[in-house]
Amino acid sequence: MRRRLGIGFWLAVGWIGVVLLAALLADLLPLYRYDETLAGPPQTGPSWEHPLGTDGLGRDVLSRIVYGARVSLGVGVGAVLLGLLIGAPLGILAGYRRRAADAIIMAVNDVALAFPALVFALAVVAFAGASLRNVLIVLAVLGVPAWVRLVRGATLSFAEREFVLAARVLGTRDRRILWREIVPNVAMPAASYAFIGMAVVVVAEGSLAFLGLSVQAPTPTWGGLINEGRTLMETAPHVVLVPSVVMFLTVLSFNLVGDRLRALTDVRESGLEPVRQVTVSPMPVAEHQVRDTLLQAEDVRTHFVTPRGLVKAVDGVSFTLERGRTLAIVGESGSGKSMLIRSILGLLPGSAVRGGKVYLSGEDLTARTPAEMRSVLGPRLGTVFQDPMTALNPVRTIGTQVTEPLRVHLGLGRKEARAEAVRLLASVGIPDPVRMLGRYPHQLSGGMRQRVTIAMALSCGPDVLFADEPTTALDVTIQDQVLRLLHRLREEHHMAVVLVSHDLSVVARWADEVIVMYAGKVVERGPAAEVFRRPRMPYTQALLQAAPRLSDPVHHRLREIPGRPPDLVDLPPGCSFRPRCAYARDRCGQEAPPLVNGSGHQYACWYPRPIETAIAEGAESSGR
Amino acid sequence: MIILHRLVRLVVVLLVVTFLSYALLNLLPGDPVTQILGMSATEESREQLRRELGLDQPLVVRYLDWLGGLLTGDFGESYITRMSVGAELAERLPVTLELLIAAEIVALGLAVPLGVAAARRAGRGLDQALTALSFALLSTPVFVLGVLLILIFAVTWNVLPATGWTSLSVDLGWNLTSVILPAVTLGCGQLAVYARLLRTDLIATLQEDYIVLARARGLSPRRIMWRHALRPSAISLITAIGLNMGALIGGTVIIETLFGLPGIGRLIVDSIFSRDYLTVQGGVVLISVGYVVVNFAVDVVYAAVDPRIRRA
Repeated sequence: MRRRLGIGFWLAVGWIGVVLLAALLADLLPLYRYDETLAGPPQTGPSWEHPLGTDGLGRDVLSRIVYGARVSLGVGVGAVLLGLLIGAPLGILAGYRRRAADAIIMAVNDVALAFPALVFALAVVAFAGASLRNVLIVLAVLGVPAWVRLVRGATLSFAEREFVLAARVLGTRDRRILWREIVPNVAMPAASYAFIGMAVVVVAEGSLAFLGLSVQAPTPTWGGLINEGRTLMETAPHVVLVPSVVMFLTVLSFNLVGDRLRALTDVRESGLEPVRQVTVSPMPVAEHQVRDTLLQAEDVRTHFVTPRGLVKAVDGVSFTLERGRTLAIVGESGSGKSMLIRSILGLLPGSAVRGGKVYLSGEDLTARTPAEMRSVLGPRLGTVFQDPMTALNPVRTIGTQVTEPLRVHLGLGRKEARAEAVRLLASVGIPDPVRMLGRYPHQLSGGMRQRVTIAMALSCGPDVLFADEPTTALDVTIQDQVLRLLHRLREEHHMAVVLVSHDLSVVARWADEVIVMYAGKVVERGPAAEVFRRPRMPYTQALLQAAPRLSDPVHHRLREIPGRPPDLVDLPPGCSFRPRCAYARDRCGQEAPPLVNGSGHQYACWYPRPIETAIAEGAESSGR
Repeated sequence: MIILHRLVRLVVVLLVVTFLSYALLNLLPGDPVTQILGMSATEESREQLRRELGLDQPLVVRYLDWLGGLLTGDFGESYITRMSVGAELAERLPVTLELLIAAEIVALGLAVPLGVAAARRAGRGLDQALTALSFALLSTPVFVLGVLLILIFAVTWNVLPATGWTSLSVDLGWNLTSVILPAVTLGCGQLAVYARLLRTDLIATLQEDYIVLARARGLSPRRIMWRHALRPSAISLITAIGLNMGALIGGTVIIETLFGLPGIGRLIVDSIFSRDYLTVQGGVVLISVGYVVVNFAVDVVYAAVDPRIRRA
């Protein structure tokens, strides 16, 4: 996977190249001597004669910068190479011979972080003499722990990979593995860090020079130039500005090059990449009638524009739902069930495009702004998610979380909200609700947490409760309790429930109506009892057979659905289920079957299963 | 238990750092005796002074002796000025402490709102501008930034003093004006680190189920960001505050020289130039202790931020 390096990278490389060349060729360039005083009138600004002006003693600033670059870059490159030379072998060794090295490295790291490196460098240079050699050695040694850390990390990640393990198993000698497999792979992160290390060293050398403890006068250094220039700030600011800008650009360039090289090799997204926003023309909505019902979804579509192509996660789903009814949405993972729910609630991620209409008591929800939507979410639409472990904020108490919607939406005071929260928690069967308010989610079991999220969803008395796989993450024994609870609450609050599940036994028992989804489309729908007793679409039938039943004999073999869920970017032509369907014929690959209208029981299939066989295979699933 | 374990480790770190720095300073060429008596002194008088100062003892004995004194709060007596190192440090400490605290206030005070704003609209203009800004700040050496700020605010606009220090006990207003520029200079580098960390962690937190569910409960984006997402996203930021403390204290050496502040950093630089070993050593101890204390505090703050870390 190659990513573009970008114009900034090449500009940075160019700048480093220019500075490096100038430093190397300084003696050949038509420059004044760096220590020639009164080369021009002191403290004059840029001119033809002195492109960057002159300093307090009339010395040419450009010349001093160029010769200063020799020290800065010399120390930068030299210290990094020396540090690499010492640190890399240690790091590879530590990464490869992991056990013994770990403890030592942790300890050294601890000390290195607590050790005032700059003070140490100052002291050494001051006492041992401020020469180029001493500065270089000190800064190289100070860089070694970082090198060991980096190289060890890179080695570790490769030493555990398959090809290295394979080589080890094959009995390849360690030294050979190191040279052949590990060194080439560590090279790229090391190169990237070398540039960042140069930035660090250039700054460190500059700091020493600024304090007067790097290479001594008359040899110019960038830090020294900045220090000298300070005194002329009022009369000739260019003397301090020019070396400052040069130093900033150089450090910036080193950092930029290092950063881009790292991005090249880094497989993970750093989270810093800009997300491109896609604008897609609104999808047309088919002609439809707004009905007098609680919830009506018309031709709901959710599309994602991905680098691989358009993903139609939800592709034209319609339904209506009355008060006191439960609608089940069934399908494998990836069939678009959860996206359908999020689409209805308007909670899609930023990269999604939404189409279709959703009406709540005849009012168009899709026309609402996010701010207007907030007055509906909570008070009229309640939501419960699959995993109660991740559904509660880990750092807030149960009390804060349950009372929050009450206070925000219903405007209750602190005391009233607490009292209401206690009542809610008790109604979902939580023992000792008063004590529960002060607890944190991690102190609760999964079942208890799911009860809490249900209490939160119900807190503002919603008309529709969306339950997205509410029991999937729970123990089988708890599952039934939670479903029973949802059913009881539906009756008590006279709500409608949308129950999303891949578990057909759940659906069969508690749903009034069923929608079966495959690849973002509805493939079968109808009254729950009817669909389960007489599934017509082969996919529904396969789903039913794939569900384990308690009545199965002990050694009963689980019938799975052959093949894999389809790739939504690249759907097969015709019926999406065709590649996995045992009954597919030519027509299935040419034309997508429409959802045909039977008496309330609809299915999208050219060759629906005959009713008799379906009874034989699917009957007992509803009677668990 | 974990906290106790950390404490032991930090104390060990402290011992290693002090011994290393003590040994290094003593093994380096350059002799306080020469510094005090000058090059022309006789070998006899040198020997006598060496005995007086205890420099004839082996290194380890001197270190243990010094460490023993340290435990009773005695930093020793400067070879050069014959003044109590402890008293000198105590006089300088408030300046450096104020500088550090002010720098962290600047850094966090700007990094948190900036990180939040960038995470809210990740990938948009503001976010990209912040990424570029923090990259630029990270690439600006602290003395370059300091010089530029002095040039702008002290020389050109003349609104803040370029150098000098007014103690807090003398005048609050003047004290604040004298700390603003140094604190901003020191804080900016941290600001860049903090804002980037917070932004990345916030973006990850905002993908969590409990944030989507908070939206599903109709809570406003502002409420979700500040009350729901910020605290679980703060762990890396807090870690960075602790780990960067060593570098930050090191930065005071330059800042205090640049802005002429009478703090510990300046004292260390001056003492290095005058070969005043024990004062340098005292400064190093103070810096390491500061690092250790801050990191211990960080461990305690963890528990306050994230209840999962608290052990019953």
